[in-house]
Amino acid sequence: MEQLTTIGLNHYLTISAFLLGFGLFAVMTRKNAIVILMGVELILNAANINFLAFSKYNGGMEGVMFALFIIVIAAAEAAIALAIVINIFKIFKSVDVSTVDTMKE
Amino acid sequence: MHSLIQLSIVVLLLPLLSFVILIFFNRRLPRRGDFIGLGILGTAFGISAYIFWSVIVQAYDPAFRIAWDFTWIDLGNVPGVGPLQIKMGVVIDNLTAIMLAMVTLISLLVHLYSTGYMAGDKNYGRYFAFLGIFTFSMLGIVLSDNLFSIYIFWELVGLSSYLLIGFFFEKDSAADAQKKAFLANRVGDIGMWLGILILYSQFHTFSFEQIYANLAAGNFGLSNAWLTAAGILLFMGCVGKSAQFPLHVWLPDAMEGPTPVSALIHAATMVAAGVYFVARIFIMLTPDALHVIAFIGACTAFMAATIAITQNDIKRVLAYSTVSQLGYMVLGLGVGAYSAALFHLVTHAFFKACLFLGSGAIIHAMHHEQDMRWMGGLRKHMPWTFATFTLATLALAGLPLTSGFLSKDAILAGAIGFAKVEGGGIYYLIPVLGFFSAMLTAFYMGRQIWLVFFGDSRTHLKPADTSHQAHHAHDTHATHADAHHSTHAVHEVSWNMRAPLVILAALSIYAVYSPDPLDGAKGWFMKMIPTPATVVGAANPQKGALLTSNAPLHLASVVPSSETAAPALAATPVAAEHAVATAEHGEAKGGHIYSDPRQAEIVHAGHAAHFTAIYISSIMVALGIIMAFVVYVFKIIDPEKTARLIRPLYLFSLNKWYWDEIYDATVIKGSMALAKMLSWFDAKVVDGMVNGVALLVKKFAFLNDSFDKHVVDGMVNFTAFTVNTTGAVLRKLQTGKVQTYVVMLLLAVFGYFIFYFTRLIY
Repeated sequence: MEQLTTIGLNHYLTISAFLLGFGLFAVMTRKNAIVILMGVELILNAANINFLAFSKYNGGMEGVMFALFIIVIAAAEAAIALAIVINIFKIFKSVDVSTVDTMKE
Repeated sequence: MHSLIQLSIVVLLLPLLSFVILIFFNRRLPRRGDFIGLGILGTAFGISAYIFWSVIVQAYDPAFRIAWDFTWIDLGNVPGVGPLQIKMGVVIDNLTAIMLAMVTLISLLVHLYSTGYMAGDKNYGRYFAFLGIFTFSMLGIVLSDNLFSIYIFWELVGLSSYLLIGFFFEKDSAADAQKKAFLANRVGDIGMWLGILILYSQFHTFSFEQIYANLAAGNFGLSNAWLTAAGILLFMGCVGKSAQFPLHVWLPDAMEGPTPVSALIHAATMVAAGVYFVARIFIMLTPDALHVIAFIGACTAFMAATIAITQNDIKRVLAYSTVSQLGYMVLGLGVGAYSAALFHLVTHAFFKACLFLGSGAIIHAMHHEQDMRWMGGLRKHMPWTFATFTLATLALAGLPLTSGFLSKDAILAGAIGFAKVEGGGIYYLIPVLGFFSAMLTAFYMGRQIWLVFFGDSRTHLKPADTSHQAHHAHDTHATHADAHHSTHAVHEVSWNMRAPLVILAALSIYAVYSPDPLDGAKGWFMKMIPTPATVVGAANPQKGALLTSNAPLHLASVVPSSETAAPALAATPVAAEHAVATAEHGEAKGGHIYSDPRQAEIVHAGHAAHFTAIYISSIMVALGIIMAFVVYVFKIIDPEKTARLIRPLYLFSLNKWYWDEIYDATVIKGSMALAKMLSWFDAKVVDGMVNGVALLVKKFAFLNDSFDKHVVDGMVNFTAFTVNTTGAVLRKLQTGKVQTYVVMLLLAVFGYFIFYFTRLIY
């Protein structure tokens, strides 16, 4: 029972795994570019949780630093990605990624 | 530097200046610049006359000689040759002074004459330019003090004569004649150059003075045969330039040039260059070389005289008489009559120039008719030409009171003396041929005078055959070449063509050269040009021993009027006779010393034979004139019947001894055959080798090509094919859909995990 009442590393890792799963699912199945971006954010946050959890149970500050960097980079990524999505919409009149395949061949 | 040397260099360069100005600017000058040529030549003649005055009249010294030279090219120490310096220099002695005055005077007169004769020619300016360069080259020969610069100017003379002979180059005959002259000259020049090289190899100098000093000192390292060979090779240059047998064939053809050019080049100056050159090298010629020269001269004189008898072209008769007279000069040098030969050179230059210019006047007046058969009766129409032409003819035939008499008799006397000293036999052939030629000369010149000036006009007899006309109309340059050949159109020529005739005819009178109409040796010319002492005879023991068996070889014997010479020369009966003769004719040479006994004997044997020569030659000339009268004036003998009677001989003479045909059959056909053979060799063997190599290379290239195509290209293509196929397969994976890539990524990650955990488990 102690296993269930005391929150330990496994709990964090489990949540993180779920988040990663949802994120991958969103990225793979959705056609809407914005939803795909949301999936990417989920994956990044899953990684964040992993870093923080390992940092907490390992005693160092490296994980925290990584998490901070990842948040900053995720913000930059979101800004650029959204700008790209806007441009895609301007050109293709759609945010459906399946239509954006002109680089093929 | 002596002031005369400076002046002589000015004289040399003036005609070159005339050439340069006229060749570049004649079209921009009024009258095509003929006054420039005339003025420059007048100046040159004026300076030459001053040099002549200073040297001959004022100095009056047989040994006069001033020289100056400078190093022209210094090649330093050439491996295998030694120090090689080429010097240029000027020498002025009596001979140079006389030649300078003669060349510039005749050139000036020819310039003056040409202003009339060549008027209206489309290349009028160029003609005067060519006269300028010719005069320049000739003066260069005259002034040179070494063999090298003489050779340079010698070639320049060849070039200028080439240009002038082919002046009417549109005509094939003129172009052929110019080629012929040039090639014949080349044959001689090669010999001359070889002779120069023999001397250079021994003495390492080209200078006459040094060569002779070395020879006199006995520094010639090779045998005497080599010295003879050098002499004969140098003489070959003269054979070419002075039209001696067997290279005489070019001179008659050279009459294709304008007639004043014939007077300047082919009578007075260029052909004189050969004789002048032999005179310059005279003292190094061995007795053997002199014998060759004498025989060639005699053959030339006789052969040309026999040809001249039957020629119908007025200029060709004169051309062959020129060859004949040049033969006399060469004969004179060969027999050791040095002064006489040069005397004849100068006198001949004047009267032959007069004859040629006179014939030019006749041709001009007859509207370019050159065939004597259709002339006649010109005496009344052209009195000036007639008078001067006749005077010059008398000089050429050698009648007393003319200059030709003095010089020709001096040569013939020398020839008789030579034959006596050499011991008779075959050597008498030389004076005999000389006298016989003198008779023929009188005959053919009498014939020419009669055909041209006397009788009635025969222009109407001329067959109206156009091809015949084309063949004989040599000077068809003027616009009125095809005018009617009727006598009423014949007129005396203008003053600028008449004046040269008068001056030249005046110079053919004996009084110009000698106070005694029978003896040239009393005149200034032969006193100023004494026979120089040989530098090789003394060093030739064989000849000396043959002639004076017990006279010491290096004993100096004073030639004339010296009683001391008599004992030394009295060794043989012949010599004793000469010694007596010497005493009688002791006035000739003012004690000139000949260290070579052979030369000494020849010189005074020549003097001894003086009156013999006069008698014989007067008889021969009279015979010739009588024959001419008998045949052409009194018509006792019909020339045509006689010609039919001795037809082979007639044809032999008419066809110039068939020399052209002989050369055609041997030299020309021979070189053609050789050329064909070489061409065959070239086409088959040389080309064959080249083509074989080419074939080999080609085969190898084909091999290389197929290797390239199949192996190298194959590899490259295979690589490309592989890449292409792989690419085509892999392209299918690129769907362009991000999701697919993500799935692949996941699959890869899963694959990796499965792989990893499988390994972990086992």
